[in-house]
Amino acid sequence: MNGLLIACQLLPLLGLLLIMTSNGSEKTITTISVWLSRAMGLSVASLLALWAVSGFPQYEYQWFTLYQQDDYSFPILFYLDKVGAAYLFCVWTIFAIIVKYCRVYLHREQGYKRFFQTIFGFVFGLNLIVLSGSIDMLFAGWEIVGISSFLLIAFYRHRPQPVRNALRAYTIYRFCDVGLLLGAWMSHLLFHESQHFSELASLFQNPEFEPSGYAALSLLSWLIILAASGKSAQFPFSFWLPRAMEGPTPSSAIFYGALSIHLGVFLLLRTLPIWSYQLLPRVMVFSIGLLTVIVASLSEKTQSNIKGQVAYASITQVGLMFIELSLGLESLVLLHFMGNAFLRCYQLLVSPSIVAHLLRVEGAVDSDFYVKTSHLEFLPISIRDSLPEVLQNTLYVFALQEGHLERLVRNILWEPLKRIGQTLNRINVWLKALVGLALIGLVAVVMATGNIDGNTYAAIPVSFCMVLVSLSAFSQKRSPFKVWNGVALSSSLAGIAVWLMNPQALNDVLLFLTGIIPAWLLGIWVLSRILKQDNFAENPFIYRAVAETHPGLSLLLFLSFLGLVGFPITPAFLGEDLLLSHASSHHPWFAAPITIAFVVNGIAIARVFLRLCMGRPSEVCN
Amino acid sequence: MVMIDDYHRFVSLPVEVKNTVMTSHTDSASGFDLDASLDHLAHWLPSQGPIKDFIHHNTLHAFQHLSFHDGISVASKLFGARSYLPMADYQKLFQQGRITPAALDWSIAHNNDGDNSATLRQSLFIEDKHSHYPPLSLANHGIRSAWMSHLETDLNALVHPVLFRLLSNYLDQGISRWALPKNGERFWDCVLRLAQNSLLPLYPFHIAVIRPLLKLTPEQVIASCLQQMVGDEALYEQYLLEVLLSHPGWSGMVRIVETQPNALLARRLISLKEMLAVELLCELAFVHKRKGEQFLTVTQLPNLAKTPLLTGDVLTPKVPLKLKIWHEAMEWALHTELLAAITRPTPATPEKTSPQAQALFCIDDRECSLRRYLEAAHPSIETFGAAGFFGIDFLYQGLDDAYPVAQCPAVITPKHLVTEHDDQPPVAKKPQTEQLSKLHFNAHSLWRGWLYTQTLGLGYAVRMAWNVFNPTSQIPGVKTLSEVEAHSHLHLLRESDEPTSDGHLLGFSLTEMADKIGGLLRNIGLTHNFAPLVVVVAHGSSSVNNPHFAAYDCGACSGKPGAPNARAFAWMANHAGVREILRERGIDIPDSTQFVPALHNTSRDEISYFDQTDAESYQLSEFKSAMQHALQRNARERCRWFELGPQSHSNQEAHQHVLARSSSIFEPRPELNHSNNLYCIIGRRDLTRHLFMDRRAFLHSYHPDTDADGEILSKILSAVIPVCGGINLEYLFSRIDNSVYGAGTKLPHNVIGLLGVANGVEGDLRTGLPSQMIEVHEPSRLLIVIEQSRALIDNAISKIGGLKEWLDNDWIRLASCEPNHHGLFLYRKTGWEVIEIPNDLSVPSGKQSESIIVGKTTTIPVHQLTGGQA
Repeated sequence: MNGLLIACQLLPLLGLLLIMTSNGSEKTITTISVWLSRAMGLSVASLLALWAVSGFPQYEYQWFTLYQQDDYSFPILFYLDKVGAAYLFCVWTIFAIIVKYCRVYLHREQGYKRFFQTIFGFVFGLNLIVLSGSIDMLFAGWEIVGISSFLLIAFYRHRPQPVRNALRAYTIYRFCDVGLLLGAWMSHLLFHESQHFSELASLFQNPEFEPSGYAALSLLSWLIILAASGKSAQFPFSFWLPRAMEGPTPSSAIFYGALSIHLGVFLLLRTLPIWSYQLLPRVMVFSIGLLTVIVASLSEKTQSNIKGQVAYASITQVGLMFIELSLGLESLVLLHFMGNAFLRCYQLLVSPSIVAHLLRVEGAVDSDFYVKTSHLEFLPISIRDSLPEVLQNTLYVFALQEGHLERLVRNILWEPLKRIGQTLNRINVWLKALVGLALIGLVAVVMATGNIDGNTYAAIPVSFCMVLVSLSAFSQKRSPFKVWNGVALSSSLAGIAVWLMNPQALNDVLLFLTGIIPAWLLGIWVLSRILKQDNFAENPFIYRAVAETHPGLSLLLFLSFLGLVGFPITPAFLGEDLLLSHASSHHPWFAAPITIAFVVNGIAIARVFLRLCMGRPSEVCN
Repeated sequence: MVMIDDYHRFVSLPVEVKNTVMTSHTDSASGFDLDASLDHLAHWLPSQGPIKDFIHHNTLHAFQHLSFHDGISVASKLFGARSYLPMADYQKLFQQGRITPAALDWSIAHNNDGDNSATLRQSLFIEDKHSHYPPLSLANHGIRSAWMSHLETDLNALVHPVLFRLLSNYLDQGISRWALPKNGERFWDCVLRLAQNSLLPLYPFHIAVIRPLLKLTPEQVIASCLQQMVGDEALYEQYLLEVLLSHPGWSGMVRIVETQPNALLARRLISLKEMLAVELLCELAFVHKRKGEQFLTVTQLPNLAKTPLLTGDVLTPKVPLKLKIWHEAMEWALHTELLAAITRPTPATPEKTSPQAQALFCIDDRECSLRRYLEAAHPSIETFGAAGFFGIDFLYQGLDDAYPVAQCPAVITPKHLVTEHDDQPPVAKKPQTEQLSKLHFNAHSLWRGWLYTQTLGLGYAVRMAWNVFNPTSQIPGVKTLSEVEAHSHLHLLRESDEPTSDGHLLGFSLTEMADKIGGLLRNIGLTHNFAPLVVVVAHGSSSVNNPHFAAYDCGACSGKPGAPNARAFAWMANHAGVREILRERGIDIPDSTQFVPALHNTSRDEISYFDQTDAESYQLSEFKSAMQHALQRNARERCRWFELGPQSHSNQEAHQHVLARSSSIFEPRPELNHSNNLYCIIGRRDLTRHLFMDRRAFLHSYHPDTDADGEILSKILSAVIPVCGGINLEYLFSRIDNSVYGAGTKLPHNVIGLLGVANGVEGDLRTGLPSQMIEVHEPSRLLIVIEQSRALIDNAISKIGGLKEWLDNDWIRLASCEPNHHGLFLYRKTGWEVIEIPNDLSVPSGKQSESIIVGKTTTIPVHQLTGGQA
């Protein structure tokens, strides 16, 4: 069983690597993907059979420990229970169908290789999430799924619209990842060694012994709920999902119809013991579900395009799943998940048939809606005539603008950050240099004195600067160098702050920086190559299509981007987790600045990457 | 509602409004004439109607008054599109021998104005990666783009989602559950209603600067917005054009609905003016929001002189000579392949016997190979070609159709309505909404949706897997074309001259029928020597999961399957009364002759015969078996294009493959339609019967001797030029620049409001053909070869009116093949030009079709078939 678990996990990765190194011919890619999907099917089937034979246990397996220091360890841990089994089964079934489907559907399409690479990466991430035994590993999978979604939305990279929508989805993902990152850290804090999913349930079974304080547990629950609602496009993040339908239809079907939209549900199922322990988070999940159902089912009514309609129908069902979850109907949720995943996947795949179906078979069904006046007879006549009209218009406007959610989120989350950043960017260079010098001085003084208390106080201005630098990078639109430098600087400041707080963490800080610094240097080098003959500030808003003109450079820039945002390919990913656990075990306040910086950095740098690498080569003959 | 409906009242008293918004420019009767300007701009917009009837037309019809090369040059400067293939493609074709040196010389001689042609010829072979790129264009580099980058505001990204949502919800034909417009409400009134009479603000029309403008008429709104954003009236027209071209798909659709309201089933009242008013209001709102009260107008832009201006030389053509020469050389090389083959002596044909059966096909290039195989399968079968509506234009409503559709080319407006009737008492139909197999299409209430998802969702896993892994099976519940109700008949004979409520005549009178039948038989030269069996073969195409399905059907039937026309034709031609009248007019159809209607399914290569009640005649069963054989060989010939198809020699396997294609939900290319269409031959079948033309020719039958004054030819030309020319040029332009003239790849398409497709949820409507339809197309203009003397052709051309433009401006090439001595002449505006086929040009030959196609994956030159009839 252990071997099968590892096989289920690693086969997609193998596929990704094989396709990446293949010669890119359709035939080779097809052979690889078909055989791997078969092999995966075999291992999934035998795994589930073995698991069933041994009586549906809650099975855990620790492969090895990736990193161990003091009381911190990062084990590679697998976990299988009925939730995982249901998800694993769905992932494989839908993946196998999509592979077969795309073999023909994507025939002769530019980016055939890119597409298959990305969906293998996606399935790798999914299996990582589904089989992970701890929140840390789940987070790694979460990030992989996020990045591959981002790449598939921007699949048609020469057009600005998919690229814009990819960024939109990515920002929401990024923001909600905070929930999971902080959640991972808090679970370290609260449950120490016991953050294994397998042990979660038992932890909460003893009613006399509270696993941790009320406040801390609530906070952890909220963070998890935030992460879940972002990924599942629940209130108030619903708006990104329909707009993510920019890639080839099967990719929309597998991602947004079937699988990735249900990951939030999975997260909630996995962490059920944590958040269902108290009433308040339960009420929250219930209200999120309810609000989503209301907004999404109304929005669905006015979607005049088929994919948007399926998207909102799917969101509505996931909202219902949230409600079911809050009522503790676990098995019903699992059944509901599978039904919804298959139905939406199918609906999206056959969505082009809608014209033939509605016009040839049924004739146009030009529908209409009215607020019934018969119920309003108790009202005075003047109101009875105009009120339904007003209400109807209001309802329509509400549905048409999809509950105003997008503007709500933008105004609350991004606009303030942007405004601070813009103010910062307007500040005189000398003033900034002065602050920088002061900071260095401060650090030097602290180092010289070696005072432990002083260290903590020194860390406060350092982390404050870290946030400011991030925000400045976030609002920087005219120079990609400044963005890259800003992000690297902000990450380094995070390292320094941690080191100031906890000098024993020097090794971990260095580990973190060994991820960040090379990525930054690589990025700067690539940027200087790309922008050699180009004055970026002159036309900061055009897409420069480097991915098409210089695919090599674009790939390097992408790697640098992944390194800087702490994607699990460099030590920075582990480092990030370590920094959090070190610093905030004693100073919980530090979690706030470092996560803000984490989110904002990711978005700033993704935006630069898109502006530079996506788009259509400028086709002007002069 | 009251305050919205009466916005005109505000117009009559706009005193306080004028004070607030029209401070500097109170005179509304200014020099700028909005209506004239919009009429002028609108003819540049794509004229593709709703996707349910896809009608092929010249993508650049607005430029037809210019010569072909000038036209595409001006178009490229407006739209920012490519005009030719990359230079390297032509050079490669030359190296491969498809462009012959003779054709290149011909092209240089025809396009060189006295320069040194040797140096010119040399310069053609210099590597050049850029010259085919689009020029600076109004769509991409105009004043609006300059203004937007100056403001650092991407108005398109902000305005388009708002506008497209309003437009698509307003025009929607049935996808959304709640329709936006109330009965007869105009677009502008609708937007006003939502903006002014809702408790929630309609973003961005709630902004303070916008609110007073909502009280004006659309004209006044446009004037006011332009004045605030553009400034100088001289730039208004260009600004409006650039706004329209930032989303050509929606602009064109709005214009179509405005000018042809019956293009939509659920009528909508909208005009470009209203759309622009809403759009400009949005733009103004966002500019205000971003930049406040003070912002630079377009007129005040610093580098205005550097941007291309509509008043400047944008409309002056600038043709890249080298690409033009290459392109014409390619076309001429391809055209010569046919011209050489028809002038070569034909191999000895067996003595003509009286035909056992005759088959009347559509002119469509997809029937070209089927006719070849059918004739090979049974030498005593004669085939004819005519436009696939068979000369009978009518509106048709089938048993299950929700509404009648026109069964004739788009240029004809039918006056007659034909309905299908059931011979059996109607069976009570199951209510369709409750059919389980169609569950995923239908609207549900929230709780039912929950219930269905919970219970039936898992079933879709099975269904999906079945569809994907076993595609040959029928998709349940989707009717194929060939399934026609066995017990139905067309109501053709008119009983009363009383028109229906829509003003149509229900059916035809006997005289009208005789007119139609006689007219067509004369057109194709079939007036005597009738075989005992005449099969009228219409065509259609079945595909699944394909919003562009209408583009696959018969172009001469406005994108519908032609079965009703074939059935009508056969019924009329079999009618004793009609035959009586025809006999008086000199067409004697013997009583023993039987007309049988049939439908060829071009994607599945299947045929179905209609209206057969009696026992099958000997000829018909002979014909059926010959046809079955021909269809299988035809399927194999088609399979040579399908990389994923079987590359074996088995006809059976090939046929299985095309069947699977047509019913696979994952197959974006059920067939390749008109790809590589190139020739149109109007003449006797004897001219082409011995030729292998690689499914590239539209074939119209015509007997040069029966047409004394060119009357018949002019009728043929007036159907052939718009139908075949439209198909040819739409393929050509979609291939040359698929992202501007075409619809891009099908894969991310999303169906919008049953009107068209767009990329993603908030994209512009995509017009033209998707890349999957045109990727193997060789973009060359159509060559019409007419077997008739020049004088008669001149005579005929003088009668086709406006269509002459297509020929005079070289959008179509036309050649005369003089009967009897086979002299060839090319039509030019200035007069006929002798075509000299180089003597060293050999016409390849093959024993039979299979030996020619074996191993070939690109287009094949015209071959002579030397016999070996299977």
